[in-house]
Amino acid sequence: MKRRAFITGKAMICSLGDSLEEIVDAVRHKRIRLEHIPFDLARLSYTKPYYLINSNERDKLDNRSEEYFYDVLFSAVSRALLDAGLNSAEIKDMHVFFGSTSMDVPVFEGNHRKTSATVSGMFLQSSYGYGKIAGAIVEKFGIGGNCYSFATACTSSANAFLYAAAMIEERHIERALVVGYDLFNNLGFYGFEALKSIAASEYRPFDRTRDGLILGEACGAVVLEGGRRKAGDFMHLGGANICDTYSVASHDEEGSAVAETMNRALRQAEINPEEIYAVKAHATGTENNDRTECAAMRVTFGNNLPPVTCIKPFIGHTVGACGVNELILFTESVKAGFIPSTPGFREVDEELNLTPLTENREAGEGVFMLNYFGFGGNCTTLILSNKDNKG
Amino acid sequence: MSGMYIHSASAFTGESNTDINFLKNELSRYTPENFRRVNKFILLSLLGARQCIHQRTLEADTAVYLTTEHGNLGETADVLDEIYAARSLPKPFGFINTMSSTAAFYLARNLGIRGRNITVSSQHLSFERGLELLKVDFAGGTERSALIGGVDEASLSRTALEKKADRGWRMVDGSGWLYIKPEKEGACGAFTEIRSFRDGHSCMNWISKREISPMDVISFGALIDDSEAAALREALRPAAEFDYLRDYGYSGSATACGVSLFVMLFHKKTLLHINRDQRGNYAVMELKRY
Repeated sequence: MKRRAFITGKAMICSLGDSLEEIVDAVRHKRIRLEHIPFDLARLSYTKPYYLINSNERDKLDNRSEEYFYDVLFSAVSRALLDAGLNSAEIKDMHVFFGSTSMDVPVFEGNHRKTSATVSGMFLQSSYGYGKIAGAIVEKFGIGGNCYSFATACTSSANAFLYAAAMIEERHIERALVVGYDLFNNLGFYGFEALKSIAASEYRPFDRTRDGLILGEACGAVVLEGGRRKAGDFMHLGGANICDTYSVASHDEEGSAVAETMNRALRQAEINPEEIYAVKAHATGTENNDRTECAAMRVTFGNNLPPVTCIKPFIGHTVGACGVNELILFTESVKAGFIPSTPGFREVDEELNLTPLTENREAGEGVFMLNYFGFGGNCTTLILSNKDNKG
Repeated sequence: MSGMYIHSASAFTGESNTDINFLKNELSRYTPENFRRVNKFILLSLLGARQCIHQRTLEADTAVYLTTEHGNLGETADVLDEIYAARSLPKPFGFINTMSSTAAFYLARNLGIRGRNITVSSQHLSFERGLELLKVDFAGGTERSALIGGVDEASLSRTALEKKADRGWRMVDGSGWLYIKPEKEGACGAFTEIRSFRDGHSCMNWISKREISPMDVISFGALIDDSEAAALREALRPAAEFDYLRDYGYSGSATACGVSLFVMLFHKKTLLHINRDQRGNYAVMELKRY
């Protein structure tokens, strides 16, 4: 018999800080920390904004090393385990679901500063594969279960969450640690600049004057279990993942595949569209994403669109890590009594005809839709609830 | 275990210096599509999967589970060189293709399917973990048909170098695929066990207590060493052993290739495949070939 999967522990590190209280407070008061980073390697004379973890000397890009990479990771994981209140037997029993776009590329880029070897040479000869980071987590924390590392671009950690929940619901496992982690790396920063996708100065998803995405870095970890530990723990009601085969780099602007993903998730959750209290949009701020996502929401919700919020203006587009980190930021805000506003939004795009929340909205119990899309046509929707009586 | 019936299988293994044009030519035997802006990892994925499907028509909702140890290692290194050595912005499609999930995308687009599309990895047990995801999707009724494969380029990665030095296997490009459905009708085989163990003792315990069913062939994953293999042979006393690593070479996705090769080469036999990771977690697959 099926059961529900509950989020019983959370922790994250991002540009807003490393304590959930601090991060939620920053979101409540629309405090944003944005840095500007030059493209020195390509000898370009301009900078682009980035949401950097930068609270002390160790965080500075030039000081980062392999040790730093794993310190950030282990800090988030240990605090999530603590937040869930797991004992050592429960930790040993866990399985790890990891999602990232860059995996350990930042490690090779960091090591490059200390040696004359090329980054690509080190990468080719030293890589232990995509599973290395999840392997390091289980080794560090004495976790005995299996590791699953998802590499589905910007939906990576959302898919990690989706499968962790499914395995708990189907009673294949008792508990899971789900981690979304992407640290700054030149591969991604220069890569998105090559695509001309990075905004000049400000994040403005769905706004008429939007001009692209702004990358960010974050590490988020959640504990999922087959039972609720505390009142208000969110549960997973359903989810879906499908492939939009329109284009490797963009989605069909009519939004049919994205809408199909939302509808499948709703069906799996046994929820009608009108029961959705609010939508956390993927909202990258790129022309194609926002157009596609708006079209898909119109298909799914018709004229009864629930309140829509966009998390990326607070912490940046954390690529493969955004699944878990935006989930944490969103659910913690709801737990604190509000649905976050969308800073940066000022002017309605008449073609989109969508105004995301521009002020925080009071929130209590409800059912929420969280959307994530990525390169390779990957579309993932999660349906979460904090209602006591559903499940 | 809920039904995981194998409806077709394929394995492509190529020498480590296999040329992209050779892969494109091979692929043209299976599909008229001309693939541009794709790399070796994507072509390997397409070729292996197209060989597996060949002339079948797939349901539109067919899912793709691409398992890999290293993903797009070659293109990622090239893009890093563009940034660090050539000191330029990378080529846009080169950057996009560093994301290994693009291989599963090109496959889905070529086959006209839009079910789940997952790229997953787990050190040394990637294929087994992919099968576990598929198993949970079948059990939950989320998916009704799936292509699952393991794809890796021959590489000079640390893992590959260590293995090659240890055992003398030749390094190959590997792309092994299975088409799996929950229905038995038309199947050529079935997975009858997919199990994980947290240590060798529990694995051996399960093997020794396992009901004696006809078991003809055993095979071992890359990290099962000689003494362990000897103990398992002694416990299982199989009629034959399929040493696919010796016969067909090593890639990060050798397990997927080995299992697919078994389906292609052995008829009316049962295979028990035993594998482990570097932590000592074990995974066992049993499959029957009709």
